[in-house]
Amino acid sequence: MGLSSLDKIIALQRNPANIRNLCILAHVDHGKTTLADCLVATNGIISSRLAGKLRYLDSREDEQIRGITMKSSAISLHYRNGDQEYLLNLIDSPGHVDFSSEVSTAVRLCDGAIVVVDAVEGVCPQTQAVLRQAWLENIRPVLVINKIDRLIVELKLTSQEAYAHLQKILEQVNAVTGTLFTSKVLKERAEEDEEEEEKKKDSKTLSGDQVYDWSARLEEADDSQLYFSPDQGNVVFASATDGWGFSIQQFAQIYSQKMGIKAEVLLKTLWGDFYLNAKAKKIMKGAQAKGKKQLFVQLVLDNIWSLYDAVVTRRDKEKVEKVVTSLGVKLLARDLRHSDPKVLLSAICSQWLPVSQAVLLMVCEKLPSPLEIAAARVEKLMSVGARRFDSLPEQTQELKRAFLQCSSGANDPLIVFVSKMFAVDTKALPQNRQRPLTHEEMAQRRDLARQRHADSRAADHKGPTHSERTPQEGPPCNVLDCSVYRGPPEEEEEHQTFIAFARVFSGVAKKGQRVFVLGPKYDPAQALSMVNPGVSASGCVSEVPHLSCCTMESLYLLMGRELEELEEVPVGNVLGIGGLEVSVLKSATLSTSPACPPFIPLNFEATPIVRVAIEPKHPSEMPKLVRGMRLLNQADPCAEVLIQETGEHVLVTAGEVHLQRCLDDLRDRFAKIEISASKPIIPFRETVVRPPKVDMVNEDLGKQHKIAIIHQVKEGRSSATLHVDSGGLVTLTTPNRLATVSIRAMPLPQEVTSLLERSAELIRTLEQINMSLREGKSLDISHRTLEAIIGLKTQLEILLQGRKWRNAVDRVWAFGPRRIGPNILLNSVEGYQRPSVWQCLGRVVKAGEAGAQVIRDLDNSIVSGFQLATLAGPMCEEPLMGVCFSVEKWDIQSPASPQHQDSLEEDSIAHGTLEDSKVEGSSETLEEGATAGPIQARRRPEAASADCYGPVSGQLIAAMKEACRHAFQAQPQRLMVAMYTCEIMATADVLGRVYGVLGKREGRVLHEEMKEGTDMFIIKAVLPVAESFGFADEFRKKTSGLASPQLVFSHWEVISSDPYWVPTTEEEYLHFGEKADSANQSLKYMNAVRRRKGLYVEEKIVEHAEKQRTLGKNK
Amino acid sequence: MSIFTPTNQIRLTNVAVVRMKKGGKRFEIACYKNKVVNWRAGAEKELDEVLQTHSVFVNVSKGQVAKKDDLTKSFGTDDLTAICKEILAKGELQVSDKERHSQLETMFRDIATIVAEKCVNPETKRPYTVNLIEGAMKDIHYSVKPNKSSKQQALEVIRQLKESMEIQRAHMRLRFVLPAKEAKRLKEKLKPLLQVVESEDFDEQLEMVCLVDPGCFREIDELIRCETRGRGSLEVLSLKDVEEGDEKF
Repeated sequence: MGLSSLDKIIALQRNPANIRNLCILAHVDHGKTTLADCLVATNGIISSRLAGKLRYLDSREDEQIRGITMKSSAISLHYRNGDQEYLLNLIDSPGHVDFSSEVSTAVRLCDGAIVVVDAVEGVCPQTQAVLRQAWLENIRPVLVINKIDRLIVELKLTSQEAYAHLQKILEQVNAVTGTLFTSKVLKERAEEDEEEEEKKKDSKTLSGDQVYDWSARLEEADDSQLYFSPDQGNVVFASATDGWGFSIQQFAQIYSQKMGIKAEVLLKTLWGDFYLNAKAKKIMKGAQAKGKKQLFVQLVLDNIWSLYDAVVTRRDKEKVEKVVTSLGVKLLARDLRHSDPKVLLSAICSQWLPVSQAVLLMVCEKLPSPLEIAAARVEKLMSVGARRFDSLPEQTQELKRAFLQCSSGANDPLIVFVSKMFAVDTKALPQNRQRPLTHEEMAQRRDLARQRHADSRAADHKGPTHSERTPQEGPPCNVLDCSVYRGPPEEEEEHQTFIAFARVFSGVAKKGQRVFVLGPKYDPAQALSMVNPGVSASGCVSEVPHLSCCTMESLYLLMGRELEELEEVPVGNVLGIGGLEVSVLKSATLSTSPACPPFIPLNFEATPIVRVAIEPKHPSEMPKLVRGMRLLNQADPCAEVLIQETGEHVLVTAGEVHLQRCLDDLRDRFAKIEISASKPIIPFRETVVRPPKVDMVNEDLGKQHKIAIIHQVKEGRSSATLHVDSGGLVTLTTPNRLATVSIRAMPLPQEVTSLLERSAELIRTLEQINMSLREGKSLDISHRTLEAIIGLKTQLEILLQGRKWRNAVDRVWAFGPRRIGPNILLNSVEGYQRPSVWQCLGRVVKAGEAGAQVIRDLDNSIVSGFQLATLAGPMCEEPLMGVCFSVEKWDIQSPASPQHQDSLEEDSIAHGTLEDSKVEGSSETLEEGATAGPIQARRRPEAASADCYGPVSGQLIAAMKEACRHAFQAQPQRLMVAMYTCEIMATADVLGRVYGVLGKREGRVLHEEMKEGTDMFIIKAVLPVAESFGFADEFRKKTSGLASPQLVFSHWEVISSDPYWVPTTEEEYLHFGEKADSANQSLKYMNAVRRRKGLYVEEKIVEHAEKQRTLGKNK
Repeated sequence: MSIFTPTNQIRLTNVAVVRMKKGGKRFEIACYKNKVVNWRAGAEKELDEVLQTHSVFVNVSKGQVAKKDDLTKSFGTDDLTAICKEILAKGELQVSDKERHSQLETMFRDIATIVAEKCVNPETKRPYTVNLIEGAMKDIHYSVKPNKSSKQQALEVIRQLKESMEIQRAHMRLRFVLPAKEAKRLKEKLKPLLQVVESEDFDEQLEMVCLVDPGCFREIDELIRCETRGRGSLEVLSLKDVEEGDEKF
C-alpha cells in the first residue's frame, strides 16, 4: 500500500458513501493510540515496524513523556477494500478521565466509534464512560478486544481459559450497553406514562389494559442490534503491539475452504458453545457440557497459542519455520536472526493476521457512512434546550432533509459544527511553509526522507529510546522543509494560531466563504422573524442576538500533527478551519442558513472542579499572564478561567493531570512566563448567633453561665471611653469626648440574611433612589422597581417578627457593607425620626409626612462607620453577614465638657465643624447647633483642623466602627464558611469509600438515591469550600475513578463551634481538659486567615520552653 | 575532651533576662527564651513555662540572688512569684531571635495586606493578591522596620513598587457640590488634585463626581471647606473604586 496523495484524498472526500468518520475510545492505557498507529502505518505515513511504538498521534512532548494521550487529534486515511476505496477520518481520543472533554469533542464529529477494551483489565470506569458517551451521541460502536498477547505471555492462560475470559469481557461490555438501553427505555416509558396520565385525566376513561410491567416493555424494544457479538462481525480480537488482529469472518473463510464447511455455518458457530465432532464431521452444540473444546478454541486460539509458544516461549527455530511455511508468510532473514522474539513474532503476525486489515474491514462494513446518519440523531442534535424537534420552525425542519441526504450540491446549505479550537504554531501552517515543489516531487522526496528515517530508526529500534521521540525530529515533512524553509520574522514565532476542529454536516465548505456563527442560545425562530430568510452571511446582520458572521479564511485537512491546505471540503468530512479565533470561543455551529439551529452543547462527562490561583513569578508580567490565560481558555474545551473579585486569576480544570497540562501550556506556549499555582483564597464571613442554651457537653446552662460565657473574652476591655454593659450594649465616646454612640449587635434570622443577599441588586437601586431624593431631586422610578421594593419590604416584615423586631423594618437605616450587603443598621435612637430607607415608597404613599422627618448632622458618618465595620469584622477581617446593629443612643454632648479648659475655643470648633459638614438640605441641626447660630459659624472654620483629633466627622466614623466591632464581640461570634453542594455518581461498591472521603473533609450527606435501571447511586452532599482543595483527586484515588464529584457553590453556613471557646463549666473541664486543645474547626480556619493576613495570632512561638536547644548557635 | 563532672553550680544557659529598676535597685529574673513576649500577649498562661526559676536576682549571669530586705523594701512583699509576675509584666526584656523573626514576618504580611487592600492594577481595576505583593516586596528587597507602623511602611512600599510594576492606589469616588459663585475659581484649584472627572453638572450649583487619589482627600476636604465657608459639600461615594464580581473569560 503506497502513500495516498493529497489529490487522492480530495477525490475521495467527494464520495460520502465511502467516508467513515470514526474515533477510537477506551479506558486509559488500553491501546488506543497503538491501534491508531497500526492504522496509520497502512498508509505509509509511518513505518509499520514502528507502529505501536511511535504513537504518531501523540504529538505533544508531554504526551510522549507521560505516555498518555491528552488531546484528540484527527488523521485522514485511505483504505482500499477490493474495488472499493474508502476515506477514513480517524480521531484518536484520550482515555484519562481528566480529558474526557476531549472525548466529547471527538465523539460529536463521528458516526462510529471503535471501543477498545484491554483483554486483561476488562471493562474499566472510562470504558463505561465512553460507551455512555457514544450512546448519548447516538453513534454506533464496534469493539476491539486488545492485548490478547498478555493473556498468553503474562497470565499464561490456556486457550480454553482465555476463551472463557474473553467471553466474560464481552458479557461485561454488553452488560454496560444493556444498562444504557434499559435506562433509556425506562426513561421513555416514564415520559410516556406521564403523557398517558395526562390523557387519562382528560378523557377520564378507565381501561384495564393500561397496566403493564416494565419487563414487558423491555422485551418489546428491540435491542439485538446493540450488542457486541463476534458472529455479528462487530468484534475484533487483537494485539496491537504485536500487530495482529482478526475477526471470526477471516477464520470462517479460511476454514470453510480447508474443511469444506459452509462459511455461513462456521460464522454462526465459531463463537459459542459449539464443538467439532471429528468422527461425524459435524458441528455440535454443548461443548462445555461434554468437556470438548469449543470451535473457537480449537480453530482459532490454539493456532495463536502454538505460534506464541513456538516463537516467544520456546524459541523453537524448526517449529517456527514449519509454522511460517504453513502460513505462507515470507520472512526477512534479518527478522529471523533478531534476538528479540517479539520482532519475529510481529513480523509473522503482521503478515498473517494484520490488525489494520481486520479493524479497517470491520469499520468499513459495520460503521455507518455520513449518508446513513440516523434521523433520530439529527433531531437530537438540532433540538437545543429541551425543545422538541417538531416545535422548530419549518425551514429548520427542512434542513433535516439536507442533513439526511448529505448532499453537497451548490444550493445546499452549509452546516458545520466546530467542537473545539486548538492552537498551532503559526509557522507550522502550510501556507507559511515555502513550497517550491509540486506534490509529486514532495511525495517522492518525502518517501526518500522517510526511508532514511525509518532505516535509522529500525537500526536502533530495540532500545528504549522510542518513547523519547521528540517533536523536533518530528514529521518527515519537516525534515524536508528545513532545507527550503527560511523561517518567518522572529516576532511571528511567538504567535499561536487557532484552528477549529470541525465537521461538515451538510453542503460544501469553501475557502473564504462567509458563514453565520450561531451561539448556543441562538433561536432560529426568532431570527427568521427578524431577517429575510434568504439573507446570506455576506450581508452581516448584527441585530439578531447570538448571531454573528465570520469568514472561513482557510481550510485544512488534518493529518495528525500536520495540516494540508484545501480549497473546499464537501459534506461528511472532518476538517480544520482557520480564521475563526475571533468569532468562536470554544465550540460553535456554522451555517450559511439562518434557519439552522445551534447544535446541542457538548455533553461533558467531567466538569471542571479543581481550582487553583495562578500568579506570575514577576508581578510585572501580569498582562502576559492574562493574555495567555485567554488563549488557554479558547484552546481547551474543558478549562475555565476567571478573575475573582479579590484579583486572583483562577484556573478551573477537570483534574490534576489536566491542570498540569494547562500549566505547561501556559508556561511554554501561551504566556511564556514563569508562573506559580497555589491554593485559591477561601472567603469567610463573620456573624453572631444567639447565646447558646447548652454547653459543649450538652449540659443545660443556667442564666448566669450564659453571661459568663459571653463576657469571658472581653475582660479588661473597658476603658475611659468604652463601656460594655451586661446586655451587650456598647457605649463609646469619641476621643474629643463630644459624641457618644451606644450600639447593640443582634443576629438576623437566616431567612432575612438570604433574602437580603438575593436582593442585593434591588437594594443598590433603592440606595441610588434614596441618594437622589436626599438632594431633593426626583427620580423617575419605574413601576416595576417600586413594586419590587414594596415586595422586599413586606417580605422583611413577615420574616422579622416578635417583640425584638417591632417596627424594625421601618427603622432600617442602612444596609452594609458597600450599602448593599446582608447586614442592617437599625435606628433605635429615641427622638430621632430619620427618614427610613423606604422613603421612596413613602413619597408615593404618604408624601406629606416625609417632610417632617429630617436627617441629623453627621448622619453620614454613622453610616460610613457601619459600612467600614461590616466590611471587615474583628475575628479575621472578613466581611460580616447576617448581623443587625441597632443604634440605641447617639448624643453629641455639649462641647463645654469639664475636661477641656478652653470651653469657648472648643465651642467654636464643635460648631464650626458641625456647620461645615452639615448635609445639604437639612434645615435643622442639633439643639446646640441651632443655638450656635450664624455668628459663631462665621468664626474661622480652620479652627476645626487645629483639633488634635482631626475633624469630628472622621472621629465619629472611627468611633462608630469601633463601637460596632465591640458590640459584635459582645455577642457569641461565629465564623461562616462557603459551602459547595456536591453531587456524586458512584457505583454501589465504592459507596462506603465515598462516605469516608466526605466525612474526612467535614462533608455532610444530604440524601442518596439509586438511579433507576442502573447500579449507580446519586449522592448529594455539602462540603466546605475550605476543604475542597485536592478533594477531586483524593476522591478519584479512593474510589478508583468509579465516582465523580461535581461541585457548585451553594450557600453560606455557620460553623457551630465557637472559635474563642474555652471550657468553663466543671463538666467541660472533665470532658475536654484544661487546655481544651481538641480540634476546633472554626479556630483553625480563623487562625489560617489571620496568619495569611499578618494579623496577630494567639499562638506560642515555642510550645515547650524546656525543649528548646540550649546550646550556642555554633555548636 | 572532658568527662562530665557534676558541679554544685546550676548554670543557666540560654536565658532571657527581664530587668526592672525599682526603688533605686535593679532586679532581674531568668526566663526561657522565646516565651516572654507570648506571656505578655496572653498566649502563654503557664508561669513555669516562662520562668526558669522563681527567684529574683540582682545579676542573673553572676547568679547573685536579690536580698529579701531589698525585695520587701521595693515591692512591699516577699512573695517571689508575685514579684516575678510584676517584673515580667513591667520590666524591660530582650527580644529573642524567634520572637523577632515572627514579629517581622507578621509585620511583613501586614504591610503586604495593607498594600493589597489599598491598591489596584490600573489596567484591570482589580486588586493584586497579597501573595503577589509579598513577592514584589521581596523582589525590591524591602526590609521591615519594626519601630514604624505598618501603615506608614505600606505607603512607602507602594511608592517603591510603582517603579517595578503597574500599581496604583485605588481611587476614591467623591462627589461634591459647590455653590455657583465660587465654583469656577474652586474648580481650577481642585483640578490638579482630581484624577478622573466622571460627571459634571452645572446648573444653580456645580455638582461633580470624580475619582481622586486617597492621599489628596484631606487637601480637597480642607480646600472645599475653607473656600466655600461651609456652603459646599463633599461626599464619599466609595472608598475604593474597584471592579466588583467575578469575570469569566
